[in-house]
Amino acid sequence: MDEEEDTSRRKFIRVATIGASAACGLFPIAAGIPSLLDPVKKSSDGGGKVAWSKVAPIASLPEDGSPAKFEVIQEKVVDAWTTYKDVPVGAVYLTRKGDEVVAFNLKCPHLGCAIDFRKQSNDYFCPCHNSSFALDGSVTTENSPSPRPMDTMETKVEKGDVWIRFQQFRPNIPEKIPLS
Amino acid sequence: MKLIFDWLDDRSGYRNLLHEVLYEKVPGGARWRYVWGSCLTFAFFTQVVTGTLLWMFYSPSAQTAWESVYFLQYQVWGGWFLRGVHHYMAQAMIVLLVLHLMQVVIDGAYRAPRELNFWFGAMMMGVTLALSLTGYLLPWDQKGYWATAVATNLMAEVPWVGPALQKIVVGGVEYGHHTLTRFFALHAGVLPAMLIGLVVVHIYLFRKHGIHVKEPRPKKDSYFWPDQILKDAIACLAILLAVVGLTLYFRGAPLGPPADPANEFPARPEWYFLFLFQLLKYVPAFWGAVIIPAFLVLWIFLQPFIGISKPGHQINIGFWWTLIAGSVALTLLAFAEDRANLRHSAALEEANWQAERVLSIVQEQGIPPAGAVTLLRSDRENRARTLFASHCSSCHRYNGHDGRGYPVDEPQSAPELAGFASVDWVTKLLDHKHYISEEYFGGTAFKDGTMAKKVLAKYSAEETALLPRIARLLSDMAELPYQEPLEEEEREELMALFYNDDSLFQDGLACIECHDIDSEGDGYAPDLTGYGSNEWTVAFIENPEDDRFYGDENDRMPCYGRDGKLTDDEIQILSDWIRSKPAE
Repeated sequence: MDEEEDTSRRKFIRVATIGASAACGLFPIAAGIPSLLDPVKKSSDGGGKVAWSKVAPIASLPEDGSPAKFEVIQEKVVDAWTTYKDVPVGAVYLTRKGDEVVAFNLKCPHLGCAIDFRKQSNDYFCPCHNSSFALDGSVTTENSPSPRPMDTMETKVEKGDVWIRFQQFRPNIPEKIPLS
Repeated sequence: MKLIFDWLDDRSGYRNLLHEVLYEKVPGGARWRYVWGSCLTFAFFTQVVTGTLLWMFYSPSAQTAWESVYFLQYQVWGGWFLRGVHHYMAQAMIVLLVLHLMQVVIDGAYRAPRELNFWFGAMMMGVTLALSLTGYLLPWDQKGYWATAVATNLMAEVPWVGPALQKIVVGGVEYGHHTLTRFFALHAGVLPAMLIGLVVVHIYLFRKHGIHVKEPRPKKDSYFWPDQILKDAIACLAILLAVVGLTLYFRGAPLGPPADPANEFPARPEWYFLFLFQLLKYVPAFWGAVIIPAFLVLWIFLQPFIGISKPGHQINIGFWWTLIAGSVALTLLAFAEDRANLRHSAALEEANWQAERVLSIVQEQGIPPAGAVTLLRSDRENRARTLFASHCSSCHRYNGHDGRGYPVDEPQSAPELAGFASVDWVTKLLDHKHYISEEYFGGTAFKDGTMAKKVLAKYSAEETALLPRIARLLSDMAELPYQEPLEEEEREELMALFYNDDSLFQDGLACIECHDIDSEGDGYAPDLTGYGSNEWTVAFIENPEDDRFYGDENDRMPCYGRDGKLTDDEIQILSDWIRSKPAE
C-alpha cells in the first residue's frame, strides 16, 4: 500500500468514525424531538372553534349597565389526558345594554393580573401596574401599561341566559390575539 | 477559531484530556470482541436521554400513570416512537450485558488485576436488572401491575427484613400512588445515578489496567481512536437499527388495559426474567428470592480466585455457559407451557380485547379524573362478559367459551347464546338434530321433552321446510338491534303459518297448539309473544319458572331476579349483551 492510499484510507476511517459516532449520539435526542415539540405543533393545528359557556341569567345583570362579575364554567375541559366536566376556567365582567351583553375578560391585557371594578370612580382598574379602563373597556390613562383595551368576547342571549365564547389572549401586545 | 480553542485549552486543558481519552493503546489492534462495553454505554446513554424525554410526559399516580402513557402513545406527536425506542433499547441492553459478560469471562478479563472491575460490572448488571424491573411497572397496565406484584412478593422472602423491605419499596401494603412514586424515583433517579457512578468507576478501572488482550494478537498495536471507535460505532449503529426496526415493526411498546386489582391477569415478567418465573414453578420462592441470588453473588465474588488456575478458569466458563443454557431452556419451557395453555392464550386475548375496548371508549368519552380503569369497570359490554362468565357460563356458552374467551371445564348443559334469537339461531333451534345437541338442549331435560320427541322429531320433510319461516317470525319479535324488521305483510303471512290457518302442519304439530303469540290463552309451552325481545329476555332471566315460560318444567335455570342473584341493572346488561350482534 503506498503512502497516498494509506492517507486516504485513514481519512475515510476518520470521517466514517465521526459520522457513525455522531449518528449514535444524536439519535436518542432526535427520537424525542417530535414529542418535545408536540405542544407547538398542536397549537398550529388551530384547535377548533371555542365552545359556548352559559354564564348567568340576563336578569341578574344590573339594568343600568354597570358591570357584574361572574365565574365562567366550561362544560368540558380536556387537560392533556384527563377530561373534566363543569370546570371554572376564568371570570368575566358582564355589562348590559338593553338586550345585548358585553363581556370583558377579568385578566388585564398587560400581564394578566385580575382587574377590579371601582364603584366610586365607575371604572376598571388593575391593581398590579395601575392600568385603568373605562366602562366600555377602553384605556383611560395616556401612559397606561396596558397596550390595548380590555379583551371582549363573543356573547349571545338565549332563553334568558347569557352565553359566551370564553377565551384568553396573548398579553402585552396591541393586537388581540387568542391563545391557542 | 483556533484562538478560541487555544483560549479554552489554556483554561481547561481539554486537549490533553481528549488525547488521553482517544489515544488509549489497543494492543493487538482493534477487534470486534471489544465493542460490547461501548455498546452498553451507548445503550445506557440512549436510555438516559429518551428516559428524560419520557419524564416530560409521565405522571406517577394510580389515576394518571396509565393515562399519561396512553396520552404519549396515542396523542403526542411521535410519542409512540420515543416510548418504543426506550422499551426496546432496555431489552437490547440485557442482551448486550450477557454478551459483555461472556466476553469478559471467556477472555479471562475478570482475573487479577481486574477482579475489582469485574465486581463493579456485576453490580452494574444488578442495577440494570433493577431498572428493567422498576420500569416494567410504570405504565401501570395489567401486565406490569400483576408481574411486579409477584416480584415484590418475592422480596418478602428475604429473612428478617423481607416484609419491611417489601413495604418500603411498595410504599405500604397495597399497590397504589406510593408504589408508583417510589418506583419512579428508583427508576428515574436512584438507579440511574448509581449506574452513572458505577460506569465512571468501571471505565476508570478499565483504563487503569488497559484492555485485556486475548492472545494471540492478530495485528500490530493500534489506538482507540479511530480504529476501535469505528468498530464500536458500527456495532452501536447496528443496535440502533435493530431497536428502530423493532419499534417500527411493533409500532412502539405495548400498552395493556389499565391496572385493576379486581381483574385477574396472568402475571408474566418480561422475557429476560422468564427463566426465573419458570424456575419458581419447581423451587420454593425462598430459593428464587434468596438462595439462588446469594449463590450467584458468592460465585461472582469468588470467580476471580477460582479462575487463577487454568482448570479454574475453565470451570468459570463452564459455569456461565451452563447458567445461560439453563436460562434459555427454562425460558423456552415457559413459552412452550404458555403456548399449550388454552386458558393463558384466552387471558391474553381477553387483555387485548380490554385494551382495545378501553381505547375506543377513551376516544369517544375522554378519560375521567378517576382514571381509565373506571371506564372499563363501568362499560356495559365488559360487565356483561364478566357477568355471563360468572353466572351463566357453567351451563351456557357464548361462541363456545365463557363469554370472555376462556374455555370452560364443565360440559355445556344449556344453549349456546351467541346470536341468541337471531334468524340463524332460531332456525337451528327448530332443527331436531340441533335441538337435542349439546349446543341447545342436549344437556337438559328438554332433550327428552315433548318438543323434541313429539314435535320436532315427527315433522315431515314438507313441514321441516316451513320451519325456517317460523324462525324468521320468532326472530322478528326479538327486535334485535342488528336485524331488519319484517314487512307487515310478510309478518301477517308468517303469523298465519304459526296459527296453522292453511293446515300446512298436521294435527298436534302446529306451533299454536302449545305456544301462544299475542293471545290471552294459557299455552302448555312457553308464551312466545315478544320472544327474544328485551322485555321477554329480562323477564325470562328474572324468573324462568314464571307460568309464561317454563313454569314447573324449568330445568335448573336459576331465577336470577326473583331470588335476588342479580340486580335489575345486571339482568338488563346481560339481556342487552346477548341480544347484541355476536363478536366474531
